[in-house]
Amino acid sequence: MALVVSAVKREDFKSCAQSGFCTRNRAYADLASETPDWESPFRLDPASLQLEDGILTGDLMHTPTTSSSSAESSGALNDGYTLEIHLLDNDAVRVRMSERDPKRRRYDGLHKTVLVKPLISSSQYDHLARDENGLFTINYGSQRQNSARIRFAPFQIEFLVDGVSTLVLNEGGLLKIEAAQARNDVADTRTRALLERRLEQGMWSERFKDIVDTKPRGPESFGLDITFPEIEDVYGIPEHASSLSLKTTRGPGAQYTEPYRLYNLDVFEYEIDSPMALYGSIPFMLGHSKDKTVGVFWMNAAETWIDIEKIKSTSGSNRKTTRTHWYSEAGVLDLFVFLGPTHRDILKQYSSLVGATALPQSFAIGYHQCRWNYISQKDVTEVDAGFEKHEIPYDVLWLDIEHTDGKRYFTWHPEQFPDPIDMQLHLASKGRKMVTIIDPHIKMDKEYHVSIEATDKSLFVMNSLLSPFDGWCWPGSSQWVDFENPRAKDWWASQFSYDRYIGSTNTLFTWNDMNEPSVFTGPEITLPKDAMHHNRVEHRSIHNIYGAMFHAATAQGLTTRNETLQRPFVLSRAFFAGSQRYGAIWTGDNKASWEHFAVATPMLLTIGLAGLPFSGADVGGFFGDPEPELLTRWYQAGAFYPFFRAHAHLDSKRREPWLFGEPYTSQIRAAIRTRYSLLPLWYTLFQEASTEGVPIIRPMFFEFPSDELTYRMDDQFMVGDALLVKPVTTAGATHSEVYFAGNEKWFDFYDGQVKRGPGVQSVPSPAYKIPVYQRAGTIIPKREKPRRSSKEMENDPFTLVIAVDSNGEASGRLYLDDGESFEYTRGDYILREFKVQGRVLTSRSLNRQESETEWSFIRRFSSLKVERIVFQGLSGPVSRVVIGDRPTAVESGHDVAGGQYVVVVSKANLPIGQDWSVTLL
Amino acid sequence: MKSNSVCFPILATLALSVALTRANVNNNNNTPRGVSPSNAKLYVPDSGGTWSCLDGSKIIPFSAVNDDYCDCVDGSDEPGTSACGTGQFYCANIGHTPSSIKTSRVNDGVCDEECCDGSDEYDGQTHCPNVCEEVGAKAREENDRIQSIQNEGARLRRGFIKYGKANKVSLANELETLKGQVDKVQEALTDARAKLDAANEAQDAYLEGSKSEREAARKQQLEPIIQEQTKRLKYATEVRDMLRLTLQNLKEKHNKNYHDLAVKGTVSGFDEYIVAQGEKTEPAQEDSDISSDRQFDTLVDETSVVLRDIGTLHDLLDGMKRDYNTEYNDEAVLAAVRVTEDFEVTWDSSRLDFVDVEHLVLPEELPVNNPEAEKFRDEVDLAQEAFNDASDKESKVQEGIREIERKLNMDFGPDETFAQLVDNCFDFKDTEYTYSICLFGDANQSSHSSTHLGKFSGWEGDNYDVQMYTGGAKCWNGPERSVKLVMSCGTKTEIVSVTEPEKCEYLFKLQTPAVCPIPEGEAEGEGGAEDQEQEQSAEGVQQEGEENTRKHDEL
Repeated sequence: MALVVSAVKREDFKSCAQSGFCTRNRAYADLASETPDWESPFRLDPASLQLEDGILTGDLMHTPTTSSSSAESSGALNDGYTLEIHLLDNDAVRVRMSERDPKRRRYDGLHKTVLVKPLISSSQYDHLARDENGLFTINYGSQRQNSARIRFAPFQIEFLVDGVSTLVLNEGGLLKIEAAQARNDVADTRTRALLERRLEQGMWSERFKDIVDTKPRGPESFGLDITFPEIEDVYGIPEHASSLSLKTTRGPGAQYTEPYRLYNLDVFEYEIDSPMALYGSIPFMLGHSKDKTVGVFWMNAAETWIDIEKIKSTSGSNRKTTRTHWYSEAGVLDLFVFLGPTHRDILKQYSSLVGATALPQSFAIGYHQCRWNYISQKDVTEVDAGFEKHEIPYDVLWLDIEHTDGKRYFTWHPEQFPDPIDMQLHLASKGRKMVTIIDPHIKMDKEYHVSIEATDKSLFVMNSLLSPFDGWCWPGSSQWVDFENPRAKDWWASQFSYDRYIGSTNTLFTWNDMNEPSVFTGPEITLPKDAMHHNRVEHRSIHNIYGAMFHAATAQGLTTRNETLQRPFVLSRAFFAGSQRYGAIWTGDNKASWEHFAVATPMLLTIGLAGLPFSGADVGGFFGDPEPELLTRWYQAGAFYPFFRAHAHLDSKRREPWLFGEPYTSQIRAAIRTRYSLLPLWYTLFQEASTEGVPIIRPMFFEFPSDELTYRMDDQFMVGDALLVKPVTTAGATHSEVYFAGNEKWFDFYDGQVKRGPGVQSVPSPAYKIPVYQRAGTIIPKREKPRRSSKEMENDPFTLVIAVDSNGEASGRLYLDDGESFEYTRGDYILREFKVQGRVLTSRSLNRQESETEWSFIRRFSSLKVERIVFQGLSGPVSRVVIGDRPTAVESGHDVAGGQYVVVVSKANLPIGQDWSVTLL
Repeated sequence: MKSNSVCFPILATLALSVALTRANVNNNNNTPRGVSPSNAKLYVPDSGGTWSCLDGSKIIPFSAVNDDYCDCVDGSDEPGTSACGTGQFYCANIGHTPSSIKTSRVNDGVCDEECCDGSDEYDGQTHCPNVCEEVGAKAREENDRIQSIQNEGARLRRGFIKYGKANKVSLANELETLKGQVDKVQEALTDARAKLDAANEAQDAYLEGSKSEREAARKQQLEPIIQEQTKRLKYATEVRDMLRLTLQNLKEKHNKNYHDLAVKGTVSGFDEYIVAQGEKTEPAQEDSDISSDRQFDTLVDETSVVLRDIGTLHDLLDGMKRDYNTEYNDEAVLAAVRVTEDFEVTWDSSRLDFVDVEHLVLPEELPVNNPEAEKFRDEVDLAQEAFNDASDKESKVQEGIREIERKLNMDFGPDETFAQLVDNCFDFKDTEYTYSICLFGDANQSSHSSTHLGKFSGWEGDNYDVQMYTGGAKCWNGPERSVKLVMSCGTKTEIVSVTEPEKCEYLFKLQTPAVCPIPEGEAEGEGGAEDQEQEQSAEGVQQEGEENTRKHDEL
């Protein structure tokens, strides 16, 4: 069938050439590269430097040298700037640069929303005012292993770990800070040459597709180059439909011609392998090589572009150096540098600033069934009955925009959903939940209570003339709630109380869509940049965080609607650094194609690396009709996405898991049941992510950081440290090439067959399964009873699947709590560490508060049983098994081909909440 | 898997000491919990106190049956627990009907409806009350209700059958009679045609003498209307091209991000129109030396083609104008709407002037007036009249045969039940549309305009209770519309629901006595008292036009 739907309308979105500040900053980079012996015109005044309480301050001056003098003509530069370097208690360093005396105040309020807590300065540092090279040097960290070396002229900051250069700011001399100023401050520039015109393009206003951005504040962009010496691979800066290891955008042979763009946009049928901006933005980048790892967080929520170039290393090393060039349209230059030393340390440091993922309710990691739209209560009942009949577990049924009364959120379509509470109770009786969509556009309607209240309280975004902004979205003429206004956040949260959201129950949760925000009639389908928020903050300054603020307000509403606080569940399409504190995100409106399916893997890995692990892609593809094989393969991979939801467009055919008949129904059922059997592992990984800031599904390099072959590998991934998953993304595949990293064994998840690394091997991937392997040295907790929903598994026993390594050792964890409340934050949870050493398996608690008080969860659930223990990879036979001093039933076998012994301890009957040991004799 | 490797579930048992829970049995006998009485014999230990999994794959101690640990690959050792999850758990449901559920639903915290006795939740976490008495009573009541509907339905259906069978016989007789007349009427027609031809030939031969003068006169006579028709064609062509351009602009410039279905529908309709245009071959160039009559006819034909195009294009624009989302302010759409509105105003008035009210009719050729010519003309007129009569008679007979054969060829079921319902039409209104279906005919959806949903294309399955109507109007980016008509037993024939479970694939649910079960072994055509009911329209057929409301979807 010919697909009538066309691809993305590129012309709806700006290219760099259509964006004034992108053009200006790129032109500045061109000027630098075309100028022999280019030097940054910025100098630091040595006499001005003061280091006090972990904060270094100094005066930066812009004094053009001959080489950069033509840049002087670009006028929009001030002569007095300040530099601040903050040494933080988590070993991160914050670097800020701004005008000393700006003619117009720049927006500098992002920290209130992005940072979880006030920053604390470090006391672990010392400094040299002039080292042997004449540089101002600060050594910091507990061992003073980190250094920041500051050069005065031209200004540059170099970060080193144990004396090894790891990150350099302004090495390329691209630092540029446009002075906020009025138009008449500068001379007419019409007669200049092309490059010079580009240096000043769109400073005072710019037009895109008949919509004029009035730029009342004039130009205020800034840019800086950040160099990763001898680091060839950089990662992060989602969201782009592109590879894991970022591609080059500048220099000879650049893979993309456009820079990576961060500007939250509603992109219809986005194209893949492109640096175009999508729904979310996280300006966090990780550089990694065999010898060093470094992270940067560019704390800015205005439109930002990033160029990437790989250049020769000055050291003469064979390894290339990655130079990145970042530029944002507004706000202040405010960045954080994380020196690790390991990638896990970096994510921990980063997440201690912006927050690690919130621990979700346990249902949220089950399977979600969605469609635009389940059209009536009867439809909902029938879909639910379909899952019952076909014995496919699921946790949540979703309702898209058609469930409302005329796209007025917080309402129900009176004919199609006459009794929403009864509908929710029906699903809740089987442990299931519902999600309804609530978008940030509010229908302009004098009869609609949400619209009336927000108007009365002046909580809507204004236009550039400070009258209420209106635009068009699903309901027609609409207004957007101004979440920059603190009153708006609380007011919005209050809309979720049961007496305001009529027809909601405590099993109803929320989906925030269109929150880039999507404005059908706006420039690039979003709010105009000169729209005005609370306190006269221009939308330009906070665009990329708007969706996250909305997400946060919704999460607050769901949390506080109950007397005893419950964890919220909110899915959002737009996101920013810190969104992980509010809930899950998904990769937006993808397509039912093998290409979109394949690109989901690098997209999710990238988003996870940027600190937002709870993410998924719509299984099956939103637009179009997947062939059954694609749908099945997508379920098989989607069962290993942190957020596992199937979704479909209004125009697509129904595709609930049973609609394609056999063998597909059984294959999809098996995939979903695999997810459910592994829920104990997933929940444990979420707990780890919520404390460590690490991703849940991880790029191969994350687990094998010194294996260079993994650095650009993005078609297979790890779930935690234990499972290797390879999605099958081609039609008709019967085998897949899987890379087995490390020197250890890998055990087939389904039948225990052994593979040995390192190297690529072709393994069978028949229609009913994709390659999944357990890494030697790990222990996976499972629950094997097939139930209807995660809630119904809460009393079920556990199975431990152990894969011992060549030393006969393995370890793993299990985390359990009530799955709903915040009692775990006080200590009411079970966290066990399992270890195999010397043929003895032990279980011990990692919850130090466990015995301190009478915890209700611990009391109720610590007697749940481990009923089965599977030992794989044993080097010798087992004659018997002793639990405590009790011999027990085992089954064992010898896998001759794999050269290993296998033992299954059945009816182990071990309480999950107690310490015990199992000895193999 | 290679033979020298292991598969975990079928590992050999290292029968070690067994200190396990007591056999989990039903209260009253030794049958393990969850086993149905008919399967009880399968759950007996052998003399050694062991038991073999039902698939024979393994031998386990009988005490391991229902010990909440899954030993057997087939799950047969745990009929009363959820350990394996794959078996069936039997609920005795005393006071109601015994039933069974998947063992995965045992002790899962849900009081499954199928186990009204609550026996599926026995672990103490969830208490399920025994509601079998209540449920049983309700079920019996419901059964009675269904039974009475079925009895009444069966009675009515017997009427349908009787009518159908009688109708088949009478149609066959009628067909016989009509077929007997075919030869006669065809002969008469042939005869009349021969006479007419002869009269025409005679007249032509007479007129041949004055051919050139007549042609010149004819040319002069037709000159003004040919000019007029040429003008009309030119005007109509301009209008059509303007509409085409409007649609082309709409197609290229509308904002696809809005997903306005009305706009999408119009654009895809325009694409189909363009494809259809491409398939049409250009009319062969006529040579200039053609008769004036021919020239005029060609102009009229060309004009009507252009007018049809205008109609098609206007329909596309009008459809969008009625349904487009006025709130998007898509400039391309608004422009097209403005053009459509202007077009409608000017077209209405100019059409009066130019196009269709004053149809230009080819005038009669001026007659040659003399007695001899009149005589030939009268003879032709007489022969024509006779021919028309004979032709009418012949087509009436043929039409009658076709109509009867259509009905006789229809599949009304093995007992002719559906003959009663053929061509009966039924309506169903929901909040937005009125749906109508004529059985064995067409299905439509209407609001302000009507959309064809499909034409009867046959029965689905062998039960004579599901009909398909296919080949309806094509959907934007989708299939041709179609209807699946699913019937269930009821005491009158009516549509009880219409849904669209798939885009453009409609599901009509119809209740009718025609599918009510007739008790087995009942002789056909019994019950003389019912003979009176087989009138033209039997009971149980609710005719078109009556208000149907959504009362009960199923029985």
